[in-house]
Amino acid sequence: MTTFKALPFIGAGLNRVDGPRKVSGRAPYSSDFSALGQAHAALVRSTVAAGRITAIDTAAAESAPGMVRVFSHLNVPPLVRGPMTPLGASPPAPMQDDRVLHHGQHVALVVAETREQAEAAAALVRVEYAAADPVLDPDDPRAVTVDNPWGLDSERGDLTAGLAAAHVTIEAEYATSDNTNNPLGLFATLAEWEDDGLTVHDATQWPSMVQETLAVVFGLPEESVRVLSPFVGGGFGAGLRAWPHVILAAMAARELGRPVKLVLTRPQMFTAVGHRPKGVQRVRLGASADGRLLALEHRSRSLLAVEDDDYEPFAAGSAVAYACPNVRTQDQQVRVNIPAPVSMRAPAEAQGNFALESAMDELALALRMDPLDLRLRNYAGTHPGLGLPWSGKALRECYTVGAERFGWSRRPAEPRTSRDGHWLVGQGMAGVSYPWYQAPCSARATMAADGRATVSSAAIDIGTGTYTVMTQLSAELLGLPPERVRFDLGDSDLPKAPQAGGSGLTGALGSAVHDACARLLGAVLDLVRDDPRSPLCGSDPADVVATGGRIQRDDDPERGETYTAILGRHGLPDLSAEGSSTPADPHDLGMAPAGAFGAHFAEVRVDEDLGLIRVARVVSVIDGGRILNEKTATSQIIGGVIGGIGMALFEETVTDPDTGRIANATLGDYLVPVHADIPDIDVTFVGEPDRMNPIGTKGVGEVGLVGVAAAVANAVHHATGVRVRSLPITLDALL
Amino acid sequence: MRAFEYVRTSEVDDALAASERAGAAYLAGGTTQVDLMKDGVLTPERLVDITRLPLRGVLGTGSALHVGALTTMEELAADPLVTHRLPVVREALLLGASVQLRNMATIGGNLLQRTRCRYFRDPAVAACNKRAPGSGCAAVTGPARMHAVLGVSERCIALHASDLAVALVALDALVHLESARGTRTVPLTEFYLEAGTTPDLETVLAHGELITSVEIPLLAKTTRSGYLKVRDRVSYEFALVSVAAALEIADGVVRTARIGLGGVGSKPWRARAAEEVLRGAPATVASYREAADAAVTGAWTVPGTAFKVELAKRALVRQLRTVSEMSR
Amino acid sequence: MTSTPELRTASRTLAPDATEITTALVVNGEPRVVVADSRVTLLDALRDRLDLTGTKKGCDQGACGACTVLSDGHRVLSCLTLVAQCEGREVTTVEGLSRDGRPHPMQEAFVRHDAFQCGYCTPGQLMSAVALLAEGRAKTDADVREFMSGNLCRCAAHPHIVAAIREVADTGGTDARV
Repeated sequence: MTTFKALPFIGAGLNRVDGPRKVSGRAPYSSDFSALGQAHAALVRSTVAAGRITAIDTAAAESAPGMVRVFSHLNVPPLVRGPMTPLGASPPAPMQDDRVLHHGQHVALVVAETREQAEAAAALVRVEYAAADPVLDPDDPRAVTVDNPWGLDSERGDLTAGLAAAHVTIEAEYATSDNTNNPLGLFATLAEWEDDGLTVHDATQWPSMVQETLAVVFGLPEESVRVLSPFVGGGFGAGLRAWPHVILAAMAARELGRPVKLVLTRPQMFTAVGHRPKGVQRVRLGASADGRLLALEHRSRSLLAVEDDDYEPFAAGSAVAYACPNVRTQDQQVRVNIPAPVSMRAPAEAQGNFALESAMDELALALRMDPLDLRLRNYAGTHPGLGLPWSGKALRECYTVGAERFGWSRRPAEPRTSRDGHWLVGQGMAGVSYPWYQAPCSARATMAADGRATVSSAAIDIGTGTYTVMTQLSAELLGLPPERVRFDLGDSDLPKAPQAGGSGLTGALGSAVHDACARLLGAVLDLVRDDPRSPLCGSDPADVVATGGRIQRDDDPERGETYTAILGRHGLPDLSAEGSSTPADPHDLGMAPAGAFGAHFAEVRVDEDLGLIRVARVVSVIDGGRILNEKTATSQIIGGVIGGIGMALFEETVTDPDTGRIANATLGDYLVPVHADIPDIDVTFVGEPDRMNPIGTKGVGEVGLVGVAAAVANAVHHATGVRVRSLPITLDALL
Repeated sequence: MRAFEYVRTSEVDDALAASERAGAAYLAGGTTQVDLMKDGVLTPERLVDITRLPLRGVLGTGSALHVGALTTMEELAADPLVTHRLPVVREALLLGASVQLRNMATIGGNLLQRTRCRYFRDPAVAACNKRAPGSGCAAVTGPARMHAVLGVSERCIALHASDLAVALVALDALVHLESARGTRTVPLTEFYLEAGTTPDLETVLAHGELITSVEIPLLAKTTRSGYLKVRDRVSYEFALVSVAAALEIADGVVRTARIGLGGVGSKPWRARAAEEVLRGAPATVASYREAADAAVTGAWTVPGTAFKVELAKRALVRQLRTVSEMSR
Repeated sequence: MTSTPELRTASRTLAPDATEITTALVVNGEPRVVVADSRVTLLDALRDRLDLTGTKKGCDQGACGACTVLSDGHRVLSCLTLVAQCEGREVTTVEGLSRDGRPHPMQEAFVRHDAFQCGYCTPGQLMSAVALLAEGRAKTDADVREFMSGNLCRCAAHPHIVAAIREVADTGGTDARV
């Protein structure tokens, strides 16, 4: 199929195909769905972080107006814990016993006729606890430590020897705080049972996983569970699990024999759907006098819930970021009585990169070397661990193009040397090497007799642009104008897809779509292979191109005919083909799989008296492999950068050290950037199509966020001379 | 939200009568009232919707601005007299909340807004002397960054978060009150109560009493004024520290100084000690620094709020410099 | 002051301490009547009772701006407004922005500039943006940023939202009104 070759490196900035629905209020999110006869549920949460429930008094709630039923561990039927997933064990099944493992745990579910009645009745449920002293401090001797939780600890060369040989060494500790994903869309579940089948409208980044989980939990065949999520109000990782509230809504609907709708409140979004866990990292770097890294050690310790998993290897990425012969990375997780952490946009990488790229800046200062030069000096031209060439790496171009666009060469070397009135001005930068990730995926492509195609997969668009880029890709591959292609997703009845996460969906889904479209084209050719009436008779896929709604010979464009003509002649209303993709094995390919790379350059202004910190401008240059849609990809990077600004300057989920209660669980108290905080952000894409998958993409959902915190922290140091090693950087640290 | 009876009227007398009984509360913009009812902190049995009372509008006399209590923040900020004669009020208004909230929130309601303390706002927290007198204060041992350092003690460190009220206490505004028993006028500086031993009592307002208007004395034409709000975000955030300052300077000497501090007090804070220092002092940074030291005397901090003392001093010095350098 | 009482209380009792209120209002140009528990907010009335789910609930606490609608032409938060307070008011939601099936220029500009990703905050951003024009506050990028700050966007489309608004402000003219 030669059409693929015609794909440009940077695809046209087609407007989002779902844009008109989103701007008119006609894009339905899970909380927008209703079912006939539905009841409304509200959660009651624990007010202690550890202990046992000794009594639940539901009398007042049971007699409240509109009451349907109060569920708690006393009457919730036994539920099986969900299956193992690629991101770890499923969350424990809810309300199965009297134990409390964190503050804000669901301890009762109140179902009533209206939302207002359910919420009011929930406030009437009285729960008594035998509270235990919660483990909240990772240094508490009772805290369980998990060493090398993901098997990603690494060792290369001889760290001790490298440090001993170094001309300059630096060692520092960096802290990152708890952040909460806080997609703006409140997570909601509407569960409805019919003939032993379960249909769930849910806010998820992974319908196939929610389907599998609900099937296991409720003992159903998978095909009896349908999960629908045509639109999701953001996720940032929060939608990567089948959370307890989803199970509870389905359970209540089954027990009550009527649909149940549960919409989380904003405070519940802080305790029920994960967060980015805080952690402490130590980095040791050693370098020769000319700036060659001789030793790199990166150790992390981050928080984990008592009975849950979270993929968060902060330090692992440092092993491959630079060409350094002597490296050790170690990750530890510590189990404490907190709500379950979850991947949040660029999990582990965001935190780990802040430590490493801050340390690189400190090392550059110690060497009296330009921070950009230090990174170029230690550029990993081949994969430092495997020794293989990268499948694609244009990080050097990210650095040089970024430096040019930013005007890096005009940056004074000495900190605290430029000012504008009472504003101190500083510039900082950071590099990013984002890990590669891909998971198996499938898709279906259908051509209708009217020449319109439908391509589908149980994938998700959380705002990433999946609808749009897959429409574009399918149109390119099938030779149709985009308006004659519809891409369906967000439905677990469609061919299975992996999560919208790990920056891996576009590559996996795009490859599956590529395969499905190729097979569809093959199936169409099969129809005419022995058909003397067809000008394409006898043609193989390699001989043809699809364009303008027709298939034609590559060597003779006049020889061809339309899909409509072929299907019509054969009396077919439509023709379908299924396709799939599996991640390539890097060892077979003889190259190291490369994720996206990037370089961020930030300028900050710091009020010398008041400590106010303002990001004045950001330049980000990204190697994301092939960019399917320049417009949506740029939005992804901008969104990531702003998420990074949030992490750098604003975001901190504050937990009360005595009680384990989150003290700022609202959007008024948990600060995210607002319009006035955001300057112009200059985004450029460089590089070339990646070789790990047939469409050449790398995924750009997370690389934009990683590195921004370090670039900002480094810029703050450049402006003020003050090194802040703890996020978020707030004015208190600069007074 | 607990169920309640909703009552609406367009007459002040009716509203006052409807609010006399225990458990009744007024509803104006709703930005505090409805919010706290959802949180379960406020549980009125009857809500008296006063948004249609004829208490809306701004009237200037020669010496003062009379602001109907139901005038919205946006309306007051847009008033030409406020723009020209009370810039500190305009700035305080426009640096508060968002346009949407300012379109809803009324001047009377703004003065009565409740603290943002998340311990107060969460009934699941048992220890809150403001919400449940005698129960203690969970914020004192918590990670309290958005809390007060002046007029507070271990009993309560809740912050009064209004920006407008900070400007208005500095200007010696008056609030006109009305109840079924009659009318009275109270200086705003006496309207608020320091937390002291009774943090549950925030103002002198009696049950059923209504703010009908606010009277703001106009600044002399030779007085310069402005509002500085220090916060993490550029916009849409409560103050870490704020300063309302009005200075009349002649021949390099401060003739009059009016200073209000926000983000630091259990009530909108009038920094009288700082004003005393400035009155008759040379308009120099040295004087401003001395005033700043005086302004924070008596601060009571917890680890999370300790930075506010230094920040408040620096912000005050900055704002006094800014205002003194304004050209008229 | 002469008083003409129009004290309105419960039309009928739902529960010992709950009241049901009948509210007549105009939504997107059409007269509508909502009979609801006194606790029901304008936001929930729009979404649950008037089948207008375009207006979104992002926090229900007046902190995110997703529920922004126009009330008598002013942008307000529908989550902190009781529907009972809206008697006689004219409410405009995102569903009411288009005219004769044609999208509002601001809606078109948002699509063109990719001024959203997940789209959840978008109805609120649009209502604020349209109000911003009417307020005369879209003259500079800085003003747009300041006066749009009550609308959070977690996907972080801020620069594109500002660009879309500025474009409409520069070219929209009277066409840009609601």
